[in-house]
Amino acid sequence: MRPARPLLESPHFLSLLLLGAVAWSVTGIGWGEPLLHTGGGDSALDLLLALFPPDLSPSFLLVCLQAAWQTLSIALASITVAVLLGFPLGVMASGALVSPNSRLRAPLMISSRFVLGTLRSIHELVWAVLLVAAIGLSPLAAIVALGLPYAGILGRIYAEFLEDTPEDPLTALRSAGASSWQTLIFGRLPMSTPDLVSYTFYRFECSIRSAAILSFVGIRGIGYEIQLSLGELLFSQVWTLLLILLAIVALVDFWSGRVRQSLVES
Amino acid sequence: MTALETGLKDLPDSNPRTVGPADETAPLAVVDNVTKTFPRVTALDQVGLTINAGERVALVGPSGSGKTTLLHLLSGMAQPDSGSVTVGGRELSHNLPRRELSSLVGIIHQQLDLVPQLPVVHNVLAGRFGHWGVFRSFLSMLWPQDYPLAVSALHQMGIADKIQERTAHLSGGEQQRVAIARTMVQSPLLVLADEPVSSVDPGRAQEILHLLVGLTEDSGRALVASMHTPYLVRQFFSRAVGLKDGQVHFDIPAPELTQAIQSDLYGLGQEESALHHG
Repeated sequence: MRPARPLLESPHFLSLLLLGAVAWSVTGIGWGEPLLHTGGGDSALDLLLALFPPDLSPSFLLVCLQAAWQTLSIALASITVAVLLGFPLGVMASGALVSPNSRLRAPLMISSRFVLGTLRSIHELVWAVLLVAAIGLSPLAAIVALGLPYAGILGRIYAEFLEDTPEDPLTALRSAGASSWQTLIFGRLPMSTPDLVSYTFYRFECSIRSAAILSFVGIRGIGYEIQLSLGELLFSQVWTLLLILLAIVALVDFWSGRVRQSLVES
Repeated sequence: MTALETGLKDLPDSNPRTVGPADETAPLAVVDNVTKTFPRVTALDQVGLTINAGERVALVGPSGSGKTTLLHLLSGMAQPDSGSVTVGGRELSHNLPRRELSSLVGIIHQQLDLVPQLPVVHNVLAGRFGHWGVFRSFLSMLWPQDYPLAVSALHQMGIADKIQERTAHLSGGEQQRVAIARTMVQSPLLVLADEPVSSVDPGRAQEILHLLVGLTEDSGRALVASMHTPYLVRQFFSRAVGLKDGQVHFDIPAPELTQAIQSDLYGLGQEESALHHG
């Protein structure tokens, strides 16, 4: 027979405690009030019915395409900024360019990691508010606002990919006389390229959504149009815009799949 | 002549392009009283070995006897706890520049250790890294430098048609040839091979050893490989060094290596207990 365990260590005790918490939370609901506010049900129904069909009038589609173009260009420009800034920082943070016993190694890695951490610890919306105040309501503000935190994210992940490459081929390169730079160009980079590219594409996809959201600080794009149509309760227009956003993201996903496949197979 | 100039004249030549024995009779590599200890195990215990230019040395011995450790020390990628390893008149120490080291020794690992994502040409030209600066290396990624060297090395390996192919797409035997071509392009004085034929069929073993021996056919070079098969040692090597428990057990001309001598070395039969307690 197993020795009896103390009550607090029993797995059942924790489960019971959690179940109790759930049960208690149910009592917190005001059962007397309706779940939806007055007319909420009708609004939800309106919203749903507006999908059949969405607003496909040529004049509105033109507005949509223009908005989609704005959002896509902001996303593309900002991911470019993020790669240009994040890649060198990521290489520095990975320590791939300094030999393990160099005295420069720790300061270089720590300072670049600190910069990357600062960039990504501030959310793109906060960057946007700060930059709109400084630059004004221009696409430039949006591009920088997205580019900075994305550089922080990309750099951090790039550094990890570069560090995680198999060690044996790198040792073989070094014993053939390769310097840190040569080991990076002909070892670490080619071995991690598929991961680097596919993660960058994933982040590009994220940046499209983020670019759409940036309209909440007043920058033009798909999100801005969604906000306008919502304000006027033109739900069928909202649906058109959402479907276009969906189409763009699906397209990027398809593209990234093709690129990754060609990298792995070629 | 000033005192400074006189002093400079006495310094040994430090130009990596002219490394090599000072005269033809000097040994190519000297392992002098080397001890290497890993936690709980003494891998090499006061080992001495002299290798002359033109020699093809087979290291034989059971696993754990110190063959791989000796190869690593000869490659300069690890340093002995005591004693010294000298190749081409230069002591292999921590502060020997990597590009100089690469002109002295080249090693072919059992796992080959190629970069599978790269085209063959870049894995071969890695043997030239010691001669290239950063800019030339960058350029080579787009426009392979010293291309004729890679072509001729691969041609000698019989796989010139694979030069642009992705290394991962090659068979195991072809990859082994790429690794040998890399060492050929690197052109070191001392070629080391860690168990080059331990995982290939007998027919291919002959081909691979033939290619390895070809690497060191120029005068002034030598080959050291760890081996397990006596008849291949007799066929391709000039000298057999038996290692056991981190010490040199015998050092004989290769033709004298018989199955009986090897079995004794491997501690088969009654020697087994001695192996475990030694």
